[in-house]
Amino acid sequence: MKLNIVSAITRKDVVDAFRHRYLLTALVTPLFVALLFRVLLPATGDKVLTVVVHDAGSSGLITELRKSPQISVVPADSADTTGREVGRIKATGGLAVPAGFDADLAANKQPELTIYVNNEKTVFEQAAFRRLLDQLVRAFAKQPEPAHLVWVDVDKAASAETRLGTRLDQILLPLLLILTFGMIGAFVVPLLIVEEKEKRTLDFLLSSPASLKDIIAGKALTGVVYTLLIAGLLLGINRQSVQNWPLTLLTIVLGLLFVVGVGLVIGSVLKNTMQVNTWASLVLIVLLAPSFPSIGITGWFDKAMRLIPTYYLSEALKLSMAGTVSSQLWIYLAVLVGCTLIVFFAAAWALNRRS
Amino acid sequence: MQAIEVENLSRAFNSLRAVDNISFAVNGGEIFGFLGHNGAGKTTTIRMLSGQLLPGSGSGRVAGCDIVTEQQRLKPLIGVVSEHQNLYERMSGRENLEFAARLYGIDIQRIDPALEQVDLLDRARDKVQHYSNGMKQRLLIARSILHGPQIVFLDEPTRGLDPIVGREIRRLIVDMSKQGTTIFLTTHYMEEADQLCDRVAFLSEGRIVALDTPANLKTAHGQHQVNVTLDNGDCRSIALDGDDAGRELQQLVSNGQVRTIHSAEATLEDVFIELAGRRLSE
Repeated sequence: MKLNIVSAITRKDVVDAFRHRYLLTALVTPLFVALLFRVLLPATGDKVLTVVVHDAGSSGLITELRKSPQISVVPADSADTTGREVGRIKATGGLAVPAGFDADLAANKQPELTIYVNNEKTVFEQAAFRRLLDQLVRAFAKQPEPAHLVWVDVDKAASAETRLGTRLDQILLPLLLILTFGMIGAFVVPLLIVEEKEKRTLDFLLSSPASLKDIIAGKALTGVVYTLLIAGLLLGINRQSVQNWPLTLLTIVLGLLFVVGVGLVIGSVLKNTMQVNTWASLVLIVLLAPSFPSIGITGWFDKAMRLIPTYYLSEALKLSMAGTVSSQLWIYLAVLVGCTLIVFFAAAWALNRRS
Repeated sequence: MQAIEVENLSRAFNSLRAVDNISFAVNGGEIFGFLGHNGAGKTTTIRMLSGQLLPGSGSGRVAGCDIVTEQQRLKPLIGVVSEHQNLYERMSGRENLEFAARLYGIDIQRIDPALEQVDLLDRARDKVQHYSNGMKQRLLIARSILHGPQIVFLDEPTRGLDPIVGREIRRLIVDMSKQGTTIFLTTHYMEEADQLCDRVAFLSEGRIVALDTPANLKTAHGQHQVNVTLDNGDCRSIALDGDDAGRELQQLVSNGQVRTIHSAEATLEDVFIELAGRRLSE
């Protein structure tokens, strides 16, 4: 493989994307959505949220909560009065930590944690509060399912939500990252390959000193560059959501390798842009499906989602962004590595078959 | 020295034998015409000789390189103008050549002279999608010669172009040849082949049915006679190898009856139809 040729192809494709309306749209869509939500969900880093807290057993969680510059803690006399106090002082929310909470966590139990949300606040402030609490609990507990969270809407009947990562704000960044990966894998990389076939420029490349391996490596590298660029911007826009940068970046690198492999397979098999447009939408939906919350649909839906590799990517992203270093995370990443190897073998087979 | 040597080269696509056991050689600096109807195997031959396609059987050497085992050494020594205008349309003319220069690892200082040679220097910054067909064809030629190849393969370089642009492309081909570049040319246009090529090969259904200079082919397959048109409108054909040919012609001229005299030499197209049994355009 000749690096100067690979870099020439990558350079050409990266620059060319800015002139390719279709590619540009595919690349900019996740960024546009991120910016839209950034405007709709005001920067939580700028706004201090008032949280009423009853801490029955001097939990370390509250110590961590007090350290957060985004939260102002107001103590409550008892767990029963926490909800009422939230409404009375118009706080964003409240938290009742039972005695022995830390010990239960250490014993790998799932202690109950009651969280009050003030419905009088805007949905965006409520969302920011939920996200902060979720991240804080995950980071503190250092396990994927740290506590049985009971979300209580103040002045309304209590509603239990025990599954983490099902609120819009909690899944937004992983969803946007998966959308980016999906766009790259289902549209961008296949288009880069298919367009060379369709416009017959592949004939020129093959008659030049570039080998098929150089061409494919150039396309794959272009996919990597695009993904890193868009994912980097997404993370930059939502940087407050990332608690563990090295783990998050590792997950992103593994994810992008997987989707670039998917793109190479699709690009090798399909022949023209119309085929890419037809099939890529289907592939994109499949890749995106596991990152959507399974509200009201459990059981078979969850099992089905586990057959899709992006399920593991999505879950790994949620855990790594929350800073939860657990065996579950490593299992997800291992599955992702395995899937990546499989798609690269499939891509090599498809390319050899075509050549 | 021979620029291209091909022996028993074949290539099949499923049951179709696109190229069937062809052998020929092209001399260095020669303009070699490869003529045949659509689907005769011209492009497949070019793709094999330029390292884009592996032959099914047989062997070939281009610029001294084996077309199967030495493709990477071969590719910098050749240039290819495809039958399709395979340029990057969203890029400018200059950007297309810059990309080619990076692929070939050559100095981008060579771009301006190449653009000047094809008279595109003043339109170099325009996007290729705004070029006319003729401009695109000239840019393709500039791209094919940018790295100074020994051999250039031109696949139907004047197809679909108006006569003036076609003449310009032919001038460029002659210029390349004068600079010592070997030209392997496929074309539908017999006059073009007759005008440009030192030698031509006729390809029909994957096989070479004739290979010689245009003059020899026309002589060998034409009729050895003259057609005389008289003042009264009558036409006479006089065989030149007959004993009385000279006397008959002399008599007609002496009597002042002759309006025109034309040799009945065959055209290349006549020769092709005779050998291949069909017109080139079929």
